[in-house]
Formats: sequence, C-alpha cells, structure tokens
Amino acid sequence: MNQVSVLAQNIPVESSAEAPLLEVRDFSLRRKKATVLDRITLSLNPGETLGLIGESGAGKSTLAMALIGLLRAPEVEIEGSLRFRGTELTALKEADFRRLRGNKIGLIFQDATAALNPCFTVGKQIAEPLRRHLGLSASACRARAVELMQSVGIPEPRLRLDAYPHELSGGMQQRVMIAIALACNPELLLADEPTSALDVTIQAQIMELILDRVRALNSSAIFVLHDLALGAQVCDRIAVMYAGQIVEEGPSECVLNAPLHPYTQGLKSCVVELGMPTLTPIPGQIPPLDAMPNGCRFAPRCPKAQAICGEQRPEAHTRDERQVACWFID
Amino acid sequence: MWQATFTKLGQTLLVLLLVSVASFSFLKLAPGDPVTIMLGSDYSKASYDQLTQELGLDQPVIVQYGHWLANFVQGDWGTSYITNQNIFELAVFQALPVTLTLAAFSLLIALVIGIPTGVMAALYRNSWVDVLATTLAIGGNAFPSFYLGIILIWVFGVGLGWFPTLGFVAPWDDFWQGMWHLALPAITLGAWYVGLIARITRSSLLEVMGQPYILAAKARGEPGWRVVWVHGMRNVLMPLVTVIGLQLGGMLRGAVMTEVVFSLPGLGMMITSAVLNREYIVIQAGIMLTGVLFVVLNLMVDQTYQFLDPRLRRRK
Repeated sequence: MNQVSVLAQNIPVESSAEAPLLEVRDFSLRRKKATVLDRITLSLNPGETLGLIGESGAGKSTLAMALIGLLRAPEVEIEGSLRFRGTELTALKEADFRRLRGNKIGLIFQDATAALNPCFTVGKQIAEPLRRHLGLSASACRARAVELMQSVGIPEPRLRLDAYPHELSGGMQQRVMIAIALACNPELLLADEPTSALDVTIQAQIMELILDRVRALNSSAIFVLHDLALGAQVCDRIAVMYAGQIVEEGPSECVLNAPLHPYTQGLKSCVVELGMPTLTPIPGQIPPLDAMPNGCRFAPRCPKAQAICGEQRPEAHTRDERQVACWFID
Repeated sequence: MWQATFTKLGQTLLVLLLVSVASFSFLKLAPGDPVTIMLGSDYSKASYDQLTQELGLDQPVIVQYGHWLANFVQGDWGTSYITNQNIFELAVFQALPVTLTLAAFSLLIALVIGIPTGVMAALYRNSWVDVLATTLAIGGNAFPSFYLGIILIWVFGVGLGWFPTLGFVAPWDDFWQGMWHLALPAITLGAWYVGLIARITRSSLLEVMGQPYILAAKARGEPGWRVVWVHGMRNVLMPLVTVIGLQLGGMLRGAVMTEVVFSLPGLGMMITSAVLNREYIVIQAGIMLTGVLFVVLNLMVDQTYQFLDPRLRRRK
C-alpha cells in the first residue's frame, strides 16, 4: 500500500452527511500473479445505488466479495484502500470484519437455491445474523424473522418459518435471501446478480422489492449486473467494468444515453430494442487473466484502438460528473 | 414417510426369509445323519424310525422348514450337544451383547478420532496435517486388524502391562473394568474405520465447503468454527452415515476376528468354536442372528437418512 495515502487516511475526518459511505481508492487484487482487480476507484454516498456492469469475468462479483471481506486469504494479494464509514477495511482484523458482515454490510447471492443451507430451516437462517449481531433471544429472533419475511412479501410467514429451503419456490427462496441480507438493517447492501437465476416474470418483482427495501431502510446498494439498460434503470450511478478495471463511471442516464468509452458503447449496442435492425456484438472476448495486454485491456477488441492503446494504460479522465479511462474519448 | 418405511420393512422381511432358507439348507447339506448322531452306534431299526418320526425327519423338506422356522421365530433354537446350553440364550443374551458392545465402542473411537482428523485434513489441504492424516488413513486401512491386535497385545498387554490381553467384562456391570478390557479390542477394530471415516469426512467436507451456502454463512458474519462444524459438517453427515452403513458388514466381519484374537465371548467366538466342534445347529443360529443383525442395522441406517436430510422428508 502507498505510504502517503495511509498517512493521509489516518487524519480523522469529521463524518458528515456529505462523507461517502464507501470509498474505494486504487484497489487492486491479485491472485497467483494474475491481476483480477486493477486499481479500482469509486465512491458511494449514503442512500446511493451503484450498478457494476460488465461481462462475466470482468471482476464485478470479485469486487463485491472483496467489499464484504470474503476474499481475505493468504494467496490473495491486496493493494490500495477500501474505506467503509471511515474505517479502513483492508487493515481490519478478521474478528472486527466479521462484525460488519451480515450486519452493516449485507450480501444477496445470485442463486438463492444454492446459497441457502439445505439442512436448516428458513427461520433459523434468517435468525442467525439477528442472534449474532443484535444478540436477540430465540423468541425475539423468531418474531423479528416473521416481520422480515413479511417485509419481503412472503405470505404466511409464521408457517414458512419452519420450512426448509427446498420447500419454497425459487422466487420465495430469493426473498428469504433478501430477508437475511437485510436482517440487521445494513448500511450497504451488495446484490450479486440478484435476479439472473429467476424466471423473467419474477425478476422484475424481486428487483422492485430490493429497491423498495433499500429505500425504506435508507441504505446504499451496489448491484452487480450484466445488463446495462437494467442497471441504468435501477441505479443512480453506473460503473462499467472490463477485465478487472473500471472503464467508465458516472450518473446512470449519462452513461446509458451518451456512453464515452468504446466498451460502454459496444455494450449499449448489444441491448435489444424493438425496431432495431440488427445487434452489433462486441467482437472477441475478455483476454485470460495471465495474458492481459500491457496497455488498455480493451484495446484488442476496440474499434478505435491505435498504437498508444497497446502500449500505455489510459488513466481515468474526469469529464463532467464522469470518469472515463480511454485515450480517445472525443 | 410411513409408506417408505413399510416398503423397507417388507424388503427386510424378504431378505430375512432368504437368510433362513440358506441357513436351513446349510443344516440339511451338512454331513452326518442327526438321528445316528443322537442314537449313538448301537440302535435298532424300530428306535431309529421312532426318533426320525419324533424329529419330524420323515416329513417333506418344505414341512420340515416350516416347523424349523416356526420354532426359530419362537426362540426355540435347540440345545447345544456339548455344553447342553439353550442356544437362544447363549446367542442372544450372552454372545450378541458382547459383539454389539465391541462394535459400538469401536465405532465411537473411530468417529472421535476419524472426524477431527478428516476435518483438519480438509481445512489444511495439502499441508503436512493433510499428508499425515491421509497416510494414517491409508495405513489404518492397509493394516490387517488381527495383526494390529496381536501387536497391541504384545506391546500394551504383555510388554507394558497396561491393559488386559483377553476376556470381557460387561460395561453395564462394571463400567471402568469393562472399558479397560475393551480398550485394545476396540482400538484394533476401530483402527480400520478411523481411516475410512477420516477419508470420507475430508472429501465430503472439501466438497461442501465449496458450496455457495458456506460462503453465504460467512457473509452473515458466522465465525469460522461455526461455518465448519455447523454449516459444513451438518451436510457431511449424510455421506458419512451412508459409508458407515455400507461398511457395517465389514464391521461384523472384523468383530469376529477381533473376538478370536482377544478371546471375547461374542458372536464371532461362538461361531468359531461351533465350527471347530462341528456343532451345526449353533453355526445355523449364528448365521441367522448375524443375518438379522445386519438387516436390522441397515434398516436403522436407512431410517436415519430421513432425519439427516430434510429433502428426503415429506411434509405432514
């Protein structure tokens, strides 16, 4: 970690309403010498929602996992800073980080069927964070679990409390996941493709539910999505990720309507719209992690690429409210 | 839930019937005419016929089987020629408890050592802990139990004198004396299982720990030990019980050997001495009882699945 930035961060900052809830600065994550996340910088204000958009393998889920501290293994190398409510997460002891997980930071998984333990009742799994973080008694846990299930729209919660996950439908299971993630009123909710394992008819319901609850609790949320249009519809801001880097970040409307980075433009032309003659897919695929180009990681697939793109990494330029990492944004 | 239980019960009865046919045929095929054996060398044609009739041996075989089965079910298993003992009492009240105690104690030792070993091996995969555990597991499986028993007797019984080398004291009569006498035989029989249980625990836990629900438990802020021992191990129980169930036959077989090595008056010892004395009806009782035991234990294992895996249960 950069010595200067550590010193700078240690200066106590008066936490005001304006202070960001989450501040990620130059955060890199390496695994077996492969740079999975490369100098990620972004910030999130209280009550704000951010969409991480990109293809699979872009590092969106990895970033979410790193934010909740589930990638703290010896073989994972970390650099840079993650500040949550002014606390430096990268320097946090495991026992202290555990107090944040499921408490101040909640996580909704992609596939609720796989993320719920098949051997424990739904009520038990909802009660776990209540008991651990809030220290509620067994009966208080049950009462609160019923409330939570009600709040995420599970009918007859009292009956469902003692049901096992396999006895619920996929949509109901995802509602249970949401109830678990929101059990302790987290300030930051991470949702990793919360609807992609569900039927299309239920997807919109679940998305709406998550947004509703986030607004009701006045929490911030980070949605990991692969759909640019959905992201722009759901989130205040959007960060487009490509091969472990953020290539463009800014207010949803700007990013969707006037994308500056060639990759974002490519993603947008992949969106299916009525009356569109043809889709324009982005040629090629994300290069493997151990064979990343030295310059711009998108250069091999970029229609605008020039000599400099293959040689030097473009720094993020600030343009209005946006950050774009490209040599040719005009 | 009950329908499955009844189906299973029906299958069990069918298996037991087959065991009974096999063990009845065994007596029929054994060399020697029971009437001549009972009458001795000097007998008349009239007394021979009379005894044949009394024993029902002039009846068709199927009728003889029916009589025999009826007697067997009622606990009338005959009397030993040699000790003049009631065979039912000998087998069920004397030998069976010894074998069951030995098997249960061995299994307990195997679980208490095998599960933590397997968990450590899985958590520190490819470290020296894993290598040591895997080596011990394979070693335990490769080492013949009768040989291990003899080595244990030689070192801890004869050499160091810490444990008795033979005999059985019922733990329900004198608990500590019983445990003391059972220690070496149970280690001998359990050693094989330690390796098996450690290996299954290791591989199942490795698979379970890679499941999203484990990550989800961590994401709820559950401490590491709870993630492993509650969220992880709860899902390891199923494969573990399956393997233990499959190996019950091996357990009974191993018990026979161990009982002989340590002179424990169990089922194995009973059958072995009956074979040496050519006491066919005792062998027959032994076969029947072992069959029943095996089938009943398997039935119990099957029933535990429903408790272990909620997905196999039906909602009331």
